[in-house]
Amino acid sequence: MTERRDVRATYEEIASHFSETREYAWPEVEAFLDGRRGRRGLDVGCGNGRHTERLADCVTHAVGLDASRGLLDEARARLAAADLADRTSLLHGDAAALPLRDDAADLAVYVATLHHLPTRTARLASLDELARVLTPDATALVSVWSTAHDTFDETESFDTTVDWTLPGGDTVPRYYHIYSPDDFRTDLADSDLHLSDLELSSGNCYATVTPE
Amino acid sequence: MKRDLMDIVCCPLDKHDLELDVDVEEDEVLEGTLTCTDCGETYPIEDGIPNLLPPDMRD
Repeated sequence: MTERRDVRATYEEIASHFSETREYAWPEVEAFLDGRRGRRGLDVGCGNGRHTERLADCVTHAVGLDASRGLLDEARARLAAADLADRTSLLHGDAAALPLRDDAADLAVYVATLHHLPTRTARLASLDELARVLTPDATALVSVWSTAHDTFDETESFDTTVDWTLPGGDTVPRYYHIYSPDDFRTDLADSDLHLSDLELSSGNCYATVTPE
Repeated sequence: MKRDLMDIVCCPLDKHDLELDVDVEEDEVLEGTLTCTDCGETYPIEDGIPNLLPPDMRD
């Protein structure tokens, strides 16, 4: 069974190569942020900071959190190069146990990360944690890879690993829970988040959520 | 880590306040320790980034 530590170790191993292939913000995330403003932004599973950078344009201060120190180092360099070091902070932490107080953020993105938590218990805990740290009037975007993607024939949710090939040719397996849209709705309903809108785009489920 | 991050961070385990001990500081805290004022768990600040992973997620 994939352990949380294994997921983190995977990313430490591939961090800089992975970061190079995650250059651009996703258009769906940019569309979500377009016109939204806040005081404190939060990017859960910020990786190399590509969305933290966009989020920082919308808020007074943006916090990026990731379980991979390697990717956080990439994010730090990226945000400094974009002249955003003063308005951003980075935290090494666990998406299922956020080291943030209640009401810490009023605008958040949680992109392509929830699906790397290997148990439903951890995924629900993480969604509850997001609800806990959001202010009552906050809005967040949560996205996961979905069975709707062309890559998959499955219609029911399933667990899988996808290999990452490093420049030298070694492969590192990456755990995913691929969500059916119905199961994503169910998990959101069972969490402390309220679902405002669910869209399928590019084979991913994008949920716009608020705290319940 | 900027000092004003202390306004929003907390212990990932029990969400209680953290106490900051600074070893190296320039514009930001570069090296130090965050200690939970309730459970006593300690979290290092390593090269400017606080490591607030729960103990079971660490190496």
